[in-house]
Formats: sequence, C-alpha cells, structure tokens
Amino acid sequence: MDLKEIYQVYKEKFNDKKLPYIECNNCKYNFYYPRNICPKCGSHDIKINESNGNGTIYSYTVMNKSIWAIVSLNEGFKMYMDIYGNNPEINKKIKIIFKDSQLPCGEII
Amino acid sequence: MISGFAESVYKKYGRSVYELMEESFFKALDMAGLQRSDIQGFITTFMPGIFDDNVYMHFFPDQVCNYLGIHPKYIDSLDYGGPSVLAALYRAERLIKNGGIDNILLLFGGKGSLVREKKVTVDSFESLYENVTNTPYKSLFREYNYTNPLSDYALAAQRHKYMYKSTDEQRAILAVKQRKNANASGYSMFSGNLSADDVLNSSVISSPLHLLEIVYPVDGFHAFIVSKSAGKLRALKIQNYGEAHWTDIPPEQNDIILISASESSNKFRNEIKKCDFYELYDSFTITVMLQLENTGIVPKGKSGKFIENTSMSADGEFPLNTGGGSLNRGQPAYMSGSVLLYESLLQLNNMAKNQVKSANKVFINGIGGWSRNHSVSMIIGE
Repeated sequence: MDLKEIYQVYKEKFNDKKLPYIECNNCKYNFYYPRNICPKCGSHDIKINESNGNGTIYSYTVMNKSIWAIVSLNEGFKMYMDIYGNNPEINKKIKIIFKDSQLPCGEII
Repeated sequence: MISGFAESVYKKYGRSVYELMEESFFKALDMAGLQRSDIQGFITTFMPGIFDDNVYMHFFPDQVCNYLGIHPKYIDSLDYGGPSVLAALYRAERLIKNGGIDNILLLFGGKGSLVREKKVTVDSFESLYENVTNTPYKSLFREYNYTNPLSDYALAAQRHKYMYKSTDEQRAILAVKQRKNANASGYSMFSGNLSADDVLNSSVISSPLHLLEIVYPVDGFHAFIVSKSAGKLRALKIQNYGEAHWTDIPPEQNDIILISASESSNKFRNEIKKCDFYELYDSFTITVMLQLENTGIVPKGKSGKFIENTSMSADGEFPLNTGGGSLNRGQPAYMSGSVLLYESLLQLNNMAKNQVKSANKVFINGIGGWSRNHSVSMIIGE
C-alpha cells in the first residue's frame, strides 16, 4: 500500500463517517497518522482498519470556547481532534462524530 | 569561546530583517574587536514568516552571508527551533577545535511581529497559503481549531495538572518570580509589578494557560561570535553537553510530559545541581516546569511545589532566568534560545545588572521543534 492509496482510503472512510487507522500486521502496532511503513518495526505489511469510534480524552485545551484534544481511541492509538460538548475532563469518554469538517471530531458522551 | 555577543530586540522593528540582523552582527564584531573579514564560519536558522514574511527562502544562509559581506569557509543552518542557537554553539566550538577556522558567527532571530500581526504562529504559518505545506499531515489538521505551539503546551500543562495536581497558582508564581528578575535586569521589554492574581486574572488563551504565562513574539536578532581566543571576555567553554531529538508527534508519545530534556541532560545530572545559576527555556510557564522535572533538578511532579518554596532571584537559592527570561524580554522570532545564552554570557562575564555573585557555571536548557521534540542541555563555565 503506498501513501497515496492510504490517503485515498482515509478520504473514503471519512466520507462514510468512519474513523480509519493503520494496523501493522507484523508487530500489531496501531497508528493514525499515515505512513506506509510501521513507525515501530519498519514493516511495510500494513492494513487499514475502522475504529469503533470510542475513546477517552487524554488531554484537552479550551480556546475561544472550542475544545482541542488528544484522544485515546479504544484500539490503542492516540490522535488530535476537535471536541464538542460541555465540561471536558481528562479520561471522559467521547465518541467520534463528523460535523461540518471532513475530519473526525469527538463528542463528549 | 565566545569573543563577542550582542542583541538587537524591538517590539516592532520598522525596517527590513536584513538591517536588523546587521545591527546585532556589528555590535558583536565590535565587542570581539574583529572585522567582517575575520569571520570564517556562519551558522543560522530559518523559520516560516520571520524573514520579511517569506514562507521559505532558497539557499538562505548563503544569501545572508552575501548581504553581510562575509565569506565563510563553513556555512550551516540548524532546524531545531528555539534551541538551534545552543546546538550551533556546540558545533562551532567543535569546528574551531578541529582547526582551520578561528571565528564563527552565530546569527539567530528574525521579525516575529510580521507573523504575530497575521494572528498565526510560525507553526501555523502554512494555514495562510492554500498550496503550502510545512508538515506531512497538513490535510489531517488544517480544518481543526488549534494554535500550535500554544495548544500543545496547553495540553501538556493540563496533563501535568491531572497527573501531579500542579496548580494554576504555581505557574503564576513562576511568572511573578521571573518578572522580579526582569525588573532587576535593566533590559527587559516587559517590567513593572506583577502579582499572581494579575497572571490568574489575565485572559485564558488556551486553558489552562493565561496570557501572562505565554511569551510575546517580537523582532530581534542575537549575534554570538565563537572564536579560538575569547579576546577581552572570559575564556568560557561548554563543559557538559547533550542534545536529544524525539521525533514522535505528541499524540504518538506515550506520555506528553516526559520530554526530550530527560535524554539530553541524562549524562551529567550531578553536575547540573552544582551550577551557580540556571537559564531554562520559557516559551510558557509549563515549559520551565517540564525542564525542572525532566533534567532531574526536581523529582517528577514536584516542580510546582519547588516554584512555590524556592527563591529564584539572583541572590536566591536557585537563581533562575535571571534576566527575566523571554517571558519578559519578548521572544525574538519565536525562539528563546538566544535570550538564555545572552543572559548567561552577561552573568558569566560579570556584566549583568541583576548579577549573580560568583557566577562561574550556568546550566542552560533549550526546547523546541514540533512541541517538545528537540532539547539541548549544556553547562558553560571557564
């Protein structure tokens, strides 16, 4: 799988309102930011999965009333995203939603 | 050894960035008693926007040498953000030791005001241009609401509060203690009385960080001339050195408050504790706290209490950021490394107004890059 294909699949998943991530078939490391080699073991044997969209807030900051966070997904990878909802706290559960943005966001459950 | 050093720092400089760098260069030459023709090496850095608004410049260090009329045998540009100048000092010392080069100019800075006025940072400068990308993952970021590096340090501060129960008050007290040093330094951009309440009542820009615990980007250059002979200055050199480059982006780090400074400092922890004063990178209050803990000066999670209970003035038990740090000097072109080095040289040469008594050894730590990826740790002494 080359990088262009990865971005293409990501775009398709986003259009279907799904959160993609990459799993290394060799070392089983899961990661979100697209690379065609596993950042841990260097293997090119990777596949794209769909997250179940559940996670928790690892850390967050509120700027101009919008919430920016690092979210830890249940599949074990972390990523940045905008968060919607009230009273953000570390460890609070979120689910992935797609707002006006093409990109995945979190909603506090 | 450093034979000359100078700064030219302005809130907003009305002329070109080239004129600004020339000003600091000639001041440093004058201190060193050297001519332009004596400069045989040149090291600098480039960041988006800080050079008269340019996103990027081709063969940039060569063009600067051309403008300044210097003809070096060695040219380099380091790209570690804020601590680049510290890494450049180490490389310059090594080059001179290897022989064949006697004087190397380190020239670091730019115009932060141009970026500041566009309401972006150097990290988000690409957002102004549809077809410009400065990071490989831009398409997975650009629609989000974030302001790096501010938001990344805010995430670290929030996490630190959660893990170690550090408080907003503790960070505010650090800002107050640094301001007291700034007031005594005689060369601070921001001065006057500051209380913890002033800090806590200033706007929350990116929670939990308040306006008065965030550096203000300004226009400025620092020039340091590294030479075989220190000339009329003290014969100072780097005594201990480490650098670390952690390339994982924050979401892919196991722990965002365990930072690269833990590696860059780990070979000389015992020496760090014996220094006479400390200059720690202060882009934000939390930056200082993370370095206190990650360089082993205080145990993990204890920086807040340490700040509350420790005198950080020039005559205190732990003189820290004795010029007031870049929180008060302003941050020239989004980089604080030069501010730390400049104040260290004032102190070590007994030229500071807020002078530490018998200032013979300083520990300097710089942090930079995409959040906290690069760290440079060093002790300078005679």
